[in-house]
Amino acid sequence: MPATEPTPPLSSGDGISRRSFLRVATALSAGVAAMAAGLAPLRKLEHYSSVDEFLQKHYLDLNPAEMKRVLARIEDEVQRQYKIRPHVRDFRPMNGVEFVYALNLSRCVGCRKCVHACVAENNQSRNPEIQYIRVLKMPNDGSFDMDKGDTNYAPKAVPEAGSFYMPVQCHQCKNPPCVKVCPVKATWQEPDGITVIDYNWCIGCRYCEAACPYFARRFNFTAPSIPADKLNPNMSYLGNRPRSKGVMEKCHFCVQRTRDGRYPACVEVCPTGSRKFGNILDPNSEVSYILKNKRVLILKEELGTLPRFFYYFDV
Amino acid sequence: MRNYLRFLRRCAGVSLQGDWRYYTWIGVLGLLCVVGLNAYAKQFVAGLITTGMSDQVSWGVFIANFTFLVGMAAAAVMLVIPVYIYKNEDLHDLVIFGELLAIAAIVMCLAFVTVDLGRPDRFWHLIPGIGKFHFPGSMLSWDVLVLNGYLLLNVYICGYLLYCRYQNRKPAKALYLPFVFIAIVWAISIHTVTAFLYVGLGGRPFWNSPIVGPRFLASAFTAGPAFVILALQVIRRATSAPAEAGPLAANGAVTPPVPTRSRAATLADLERLASCLPEIATVAVEERRAFLRDATVLTVPTGGILLHQGETDNDAFFVLQGRIVVKRKEGPRVRITRDVGPGEQFGEVSALTGAARAATASAEVPSEVLCVPAPALRRLMRNPKVNEIVTWRMTERLMIADHSLLILRSIVQVSMIINVFLLANELFTAFYNSNREEISWRYLVVGLRGFHALVPWFWTSVTLNLTALTLLVLPLSRNLKWLNVACVLCIFGIWIEKGMGLVIPGFIPTPIGEMVEYLPSRNETFICVGIWAFGLLCFTILLRMAVPILQGKLSRWNEA
Repeated sequence: MPATEPTPPLSSGDGISRRSFLRVATALSAGVAAMAAGLAPLRKLEHYSSVDEFLQKHYLDLNPAEMKRVLARIEDEVQRQYKIRPHVRDFRPMNGVEFVYALNLSRCVGCRKCVHACVAENNQSRNPEIQYIRVLKMPNDGSFDMDKGDTNYAPKAVPEAGSFYMPVQCHQCKNPPCVKVCPVKATWQEPDGITVIDYNWCIGCRYCEAACPYFARRFNFTAPSIPADKLNPNMSYLGNRPRSKGVMEKCHFCVQRTRDGRYPACVEVCPTGSRKFGNILDPNSEVSYILKNKRVLILKEELGTLPRFFYYFDV
Repeated sequence: MRNYLRFLRRCAGVSLQGDWRYYTWIGVLGLLCVVGLNAYAKQFVAGLITTGMSDQVSWGVFIANFTFLVGMAAAAVMLVIPVYIYKNEDLHDLVIFGELLAIAAIVMCLAFVTVDLGRPDRFWHLIPGIGKFHFPGSMLSWDVLVLNGYLLLNVYICGYLLYCRYQNRKPAKALYLPFVFIAIVWAISIHTVTAFLYVGLGGRPFWNSPIVGPRFLASAFTAGPAFVILALQVIRRATSAPAEAGPLAANGAVTPPVPTRSRAATLADLERLASCLPEIATVAVEERRAFLRDATVLTVPTGGILLHQGETDNDAFFVLQGRIVVKRKEGPRVRITRDVGPGEQFGEVSALTGAARAATASAEVPSEVLCVPAPALRRLMRNPKVNEIVTWRMTERLMIADHSLLILRSIVQVSMIINVFLLANELFTAFYNSNREEISWRYLVVGLRGFHALVPWFWTSVTLNLTALTLLVLPLSRNLKWLNVACVLCIFGIWIEKGMGLVIPGFIPTPIGEMVEYLPSRNETFICVGIWAFGLLCFTILLRMAVPILQGKLSRWNEA
């Protein structure tokens, strides 16, 4: 008789013997045990999300009543975490206002007071510290090349001879690449020109961060940590309320201040008066005057992003 | 519907069966999955800070692997196009493996995107209609659509074709061909859209190059078929067993012929055939008589051999009763290429082409077959219905012939030439000019301002790719051993080229000129390993189900 080659038995799958049942049961329980062991780190998870938070609608879809509930819930969450009752408001854009920022490169001395005022005002994480403003020290060597810029300068005193300073932050573009790429519309441009983020809608894909030509967006790689005594309790939904782990944030022109008739923190703190802020739709505003009368530089103008952030010179 | 559920249940049942090598392989992959799951659980708790990513380099190996795997999924078309557009017969039995690979690759893609999300719990924001889907503005929303669409297309096509094979019936063209053609265009689109994710970013000159799309396709069509070449040989090996003494002995020993009884065929025999091959019923009575004039009915006991591999006779056979198993000797090993039952044919390829027998057919159980000489079969096939079913069934065998692998080799070869050519174009543009927009290329290739973490990666990838290219263009790689070396080099070379060589340098330096380097963290690497293991596990299980179906071993006839 010719030998038949050994082939693995192929049962019909319907008749399950006791032995194979036991084998399957052992394999299954081993699998479940391994799975449980693998997922063990999840026990350390603290307050990840709530049902209300999970089901919350997009900012633009919330009606006033829902908004009120959301703001109250956020206040509760902040209180639970920081033992401080904040005042969280939803500031809407004002009619006839389009904000514009102008920064005097002839005057900036690179003291980074703006950087820290911004962190304090906007409740950024302190560890790791998230900063919206990046100040470049650039050589006065007849070039304007950001690749020569140094962001980690730490001299005893500023300004240093032979250098000028260029702070970079969100340019609040009229044609924002970050808004264009967001797959869930978690970031958008408001009528007053501020590009905002709904921290409760962002999925944390970081596509906007890749798209931004000004390195203006920041991601919460871990849960932000802010000492309770450093918390700024005057908060807004689209602005400086504490963010969660895994979402984007960015400069929003201090929406909780500017929509309330005040200057952004960085403008207020600047010791040299290099920072100017105002309504471009008002022909008598300071920024209107600067754009009409000063030499202006637009960073990466060739990209067509149409920034609302202008650099200018004292000449 | 109930039949389909039973089919799925049997597939699931078969996926749990195998020899010790299968269990070891599955066990190792399962263990690696758990390692990955554990690493992901840690990341879920602590956040993406457990990765090597930063605000400066905000995408890392997750997105790199995602990009590479979209290419692997798209590469399935390199099997589909030759088969469905150029009617290539050699790849016909293999095309389903490309599609199954696409399914596994897309599953991995979706897993990689998910682990990259900061808030995976908010995935529902991406669901059109329920969430807030930014379509068509965001290229990422396009990617969500095309990847999920491609997954559904391939699941449907594979599910339908395998089910038909299981049910032993010819698939209805209208039910799968349109989808196959949609899938061809769709495959190109998934990788183009993935390229556009990068190309669309004006602030990143390294990516903002129109050549990235073509480069993606060229590298995908290199790495994908290279992977298929390796996978097919694994399948071939796993479905074969060492030849033992007997009719298929490696030493070619002649065994005594098994006695078979033969008698002239009658109209009643043809009626029996028609009961399991309904197409016969459309043959006119006078045609049937002419057909029967030369036909005989053979009765064979278990193990009785009906035709021998390597012989050049020209009879074709139809099974009237019983099971015939067709085995092919490949070197020292033997493999079942098909297992046929009543109504099915065997030996028809040699009969129609005059080629030597590609395999040996013997009876698995006592059987009766109708033996038809070639001229009679040709006459019978003048009937269009019969012609269609016989031609279709000719492709229903798991050959995995060496020359099919060599067809894939030429695809890999041409794609690799194009891929290297396109890379050379990029390098020329970057280095001949002193355009500072190309500064990331400098960082990647030679290092920049004292930073050169990616330089070894780049040169490793170039070395792997050029070695693979040299092997592929030399006749040396017609030898499978060298071809396998070339394929492995291709896969690793392209994995680096698209990951560490394309995703990462796009971020360095940052748009404001800062230099921050990136290397994947340990936890991040474990997650990647876990997802790869999961993908390979899916692919293995899909193959474990598909192979016996394609061989005819798992079929409706042996349902309990």
